[in-house]
Amino acid sequence: MAKVLLEPIGSPRERALDAASFASQRAHVGALNAALQHKRDEVRAGWGPEYEARVRKKGKLPTWDRIDRLKDAGSQVLPVGTLVNYGRTFGEDRKTSPGAGVVTAFLRVEGRWVVVIANDNTVASGSWWPQTPEKIQRAQEIALRLRLPVVYLVDCSGLFLPEQAHTFPGRTGAGAIFKMNALLSAQGVPQIAGVHGDCIAGGGYMPIISDVVYMTEQAYMVVAGAALVKGGKSQHITSLSIGGPDVHVHLSRCADHRVPDDDTLIRCVRREVAKLPTPACDYYRYGADAGDPSFAPEELDGLFPADHRQSYDTREVLARLTDYSLFGEFLPDVGREMICGVARVDGLYAGFVANNLALTEHPTQRDHKRPGGILYREGIAKIAQFSRCCNDDGIPIVWLQDISGFDIGPEAERQGLLGYGSSLIYTNATNTVPMFTVLLRKASGAGYYAMEGLPYGPVLQLATPLARLAVMEGRTLAIGAYNTKLDDAFRIVAATAEEAEEIRRGMQAVEDRIARDMDPVLAASQRDVDEIVHPSELRRWIASLVAMSYQATGYRRIKNPRIWSLHDLNVIGG
Amino acid sequence: MFHRVLIANRGEIAARVLRACRDLDLETVAVHSEIDANAPWLAGATRTVCLGPAAAARSYLNADAILQAAEQTEAGAIHPGYGFLSESAVFAARCAQHGITFIGPSPSAIGRMGDKIAAKRTMAEAGVPVIPGSLEPVASVAAATGLASAVGYPVLLKARAGGGGKGMRRCDDATALARGYAEASLEADKAFGNAELYLEKYLDGGRHIEFQILADAYGNVIHLGERECSIQRSHQKLVEESPSPALDPKERAELGARAARAAASFGYVNAGTLEFLRAADGGMYFMEMNTRLQVEHPVTEMVTGIDLVRSQLAIAARAPLAVRQDDVAFSGHAIEFRINAEDPDRNFRPDPGLVTDVTAPSVTRRGATVRWDAGVAAGWRVPSHYDSLIGKVIVHAPTRAEAIAASREALRSLRIVGIATTIPLHLRLLDDEAFVRGDYDVQHLARRGLVVPAAAGA
Repeated sequence: MAKVLLEPIGSPRERALDAASFASQRAHVGALNAALQHKRDEVRAGWGPEYEARVRKKGKLPTWDRIDRLKDAGSQVLPVGTLVNYGRTFGEDRKTSPGAGVVTAFLRVEGRWVVVIANDNTVASGSWWPQTPEKIQRAQEIALRLRLPVVYLVDCSGLFLPEQAHTFPGRTGAGAIFKMNALLSAQGVPQIAGVHGDCIAGGGYMPIISDVVYMTEQAYMVVAGAALVKGGKSQHITSLSIGGPDVHVHLSRCADHRVPDDDTLIRCVRREVAKLPTPACDYYRYGADAGDPSFAPEELDGLFPADHRQSYDTREVLARLTDYSLFGEFLPDVGREMICGVARVDGLYAGFVANNLALTEHPTQRDHKRPGGILYREGIAKIAQFSRCCNDDGIPIVWLQDISGFDIGPEAERQGLLGYGSSLIYTNATNTVPMFTVLLRKASGAGYYAMEGLPYGPVLQLATPLARLAVMEGRTLAIGAYNTKLDDAFRIVAATAEEAEEIRRGMQAVEDRIARDMDPVLAASQRDVDEIVHPSELRRWIASLVAMSYQATGYRRIKNPRIWSLHDLNVIGG
Repeated sequence: MFHRVLIANRGEIAARVLRACRDLDLETVAVHSEIDANAPWLAGATRTVCLGPAAAARSYLNADAILQAAEQTEAGAIHPGYGFLSESAVFAARCAQHGITFIGPSPSAIGRMGDKIAAKRTMAEAGVPVIPGSLEPVASVAAATGLASAVGYPVLLKARAGGGGKGMRRCDDATALARGYAEASLEADKAFGNAELYLEKYLDGGRHIEFQILADAYGNVIHLGERECSIQRSHQKLVEESPSPALDPKERAELGARAARAAASFGYVNAGTLEFLRAADGGMYFMEMNTRLQVEHPVTEMVTGIDLVRSQLAIAARAPLAVRQDDVAFSGHAIEFRINAEDPDRNFRPDPGLVTDVTAPSVTRRGATVRWDAGVAAGWRVPSHYDSLIGKVIVHAPTRAEAIAASREALRSLRIVGIATTIPLHLRLLDDEAFVRGDYDVQHLARRGLVVPAAAGA
């Protein structure tokens, strides 16, 4: 019978790394983490205490209070898209839109993972900014992919009109949210809506497709507010009188239940979630026991060198992500520049694909070693086959990227890396198993694509604050741009000292520009990564995502490990 | 039941588990290191497999070699004994990966009790009294000071990731606490990469009393009373007895029931022991839970008539518990004496070497019995690589006084020739009035001058 043998991986911190390096690396990452935490706090504060007070004065709860009451006591919120619109301003008075005015997050509610989509009522009364519709659709898409119930906490005064040209007409314009509502419903994904306040126009359509709609006494839903109704003033029409619970719960039946206030509504939503099926996770553990890694995940903050050109031991990273630090490596002797295999995370099987950054032997040329973090033919073939197997077996895949790109040069072209790479791309593009991508550090060139970068549709893409996302490193681009001015060893060739200096400055400018582009905060601001997380938070994120992948039954293939196709390959591969 | 069981241990406990397997007609695989190749206990096994060189890291702690031996011999279960891999959650998890039953609790239960804070919190939530202090890391000096004044000085700061006394400070007042907090968190951060500290009331002395529980895979949990283990030297137990002279039947029943409920509260399965400190004020405080068979388990077997190793095997084979709490009866008194290859007159210097003759202990006293759990025989050279325990004398009699009298007889009849042992120390203890009265605590041996205190030794 086929057995899944997971072996110990990694070593205690003091053996993996000397204390001084660990301390200095952790200090470096610690500073980046602190800067990130500061940004998170900024976003969470919305437009600040003044706006929060205004919300409370209306007898309503600020959005984060609603979320904290909705989640299970003691559980952690995993927010997605925190930094969307970070650093951007809109309108003539340069308004900010923290988190694009909406909180989207994974929450534990009654022991189930749900996706919550909640307008931030402390940011312009929850209106929709540029990228707000896309952020909401992203959360809906994730819910659809994993069949996670969606809870909408609606409190939205409509589009932020000065920017309507960017949020109304396009393919991902606001209306696409309602299309996602419909698709979720059509796929049988439960949707529960709570209407807490303003719910004008688009905001009004969003809850209606939900299976259950609750309204508080402060809430109203209208196609258009009283301000646009002709003669409204003389007839004393208010938005509440034409679209409040009196109308929608009792007359139009566009909502199901009325409740006195936010707190009651949240309790009712929790009760609805409790009626949904229990997560299947424990069933899919096949009797195994979940357990923490043997080596503390907090140590991940100290494992990455400050200089991105220095390598580290990827196995030490894996050892801090998997249960009991056990890992079953797949074909460890082939394509050693890549490490892939299965492990249990929170007791559930997951596949991992990661770059090995160490020097490895050339497969045919003796005494020739090649740098890691690069895709060579054997490694590409290995991970492509591993990816296909996981897809066939229903094992969710976690892609851990620290990739400089594909190998280049005469050997690479002769071997047809374009073909092997395309095979990998085809595999990942057509896989249906849940896949998650983590940009540990470098995410460069076609390597970023081939290892399930965002354009290939991972369910979620995370990045650490160390991530460097670009077509190529700045230095490489500078060499490319100034190629005619350089010799074989990329040294500057110039007639005069002035000319040489000019070339040097030009190359530096290119490098600097790329360095700015590679800032993960910029990527997160424009939704090129879903969330930036501290390295030490990765274990919790991955464990949660894997658990979400096994929560719902009946929509995807999940094979028991006895009949994995992975075993066949292990036998053939010897 | 299993067809074949591998015993991943050595010495007297290997002999003990082999005997239980033989009683149940199970085939056995005894694994051993090169230096243990001719060990006396191996004769009791159906087959033997050599794991590797003498060093424990390359033999009895070598999980790869043990799992390979189990695969090769097609053993269906592994009994880890005590020490070595018995409390390794990773080893238990690896056994499961190989489809081999680990005779012990689940990996997560081992992990939970191995994490001091998680263990303490679990017990507190289940209504077991714990040492007053924090159930979560204390975030600041202010928080620590507030908590310390609530529980009362002196207090002990401990590193969350702790071990080996690093990041630990005893603080007698607020000034010392402020200084101790800064030092200990720095030290912990440096040593473990984790600066978190927690705080508890510092308790000096007291008695070490522990409760044995048995839990099956179906949620049935019983307790088998307590053992008193306060006769210690440098935190090493030397003499254990059951019942404890310090507990009455009412307290026993009440605490035992709490211990059983606590084990049930987190789904514990198999044998386990909850260790308590009985403070000078009479309060009982949970210290830790051992998720394995204890060295001193025989005293419980002698007073209850329940074979703990056979119970462990049955539970691991998913049999329901054969006895209910009401069926457990305590009869008589049992005392265990650890026979170590150490010279008590030379500051307990280990004295391994060739044993030329062994005479097992015997008693003639009416109503008294003696049991000799040994990992030694004539002609065996005790190796220097492992723990110095070579055997245990367990005496049972109707009363404590009779057990003490019978113990004198048993220990005088036991002869181990060729090496120094702890027998003379035990005989001196049996003549100690306070011990005979049952009036002793963990500092007893040092206080009565029966051993040189650890600090003054060396």
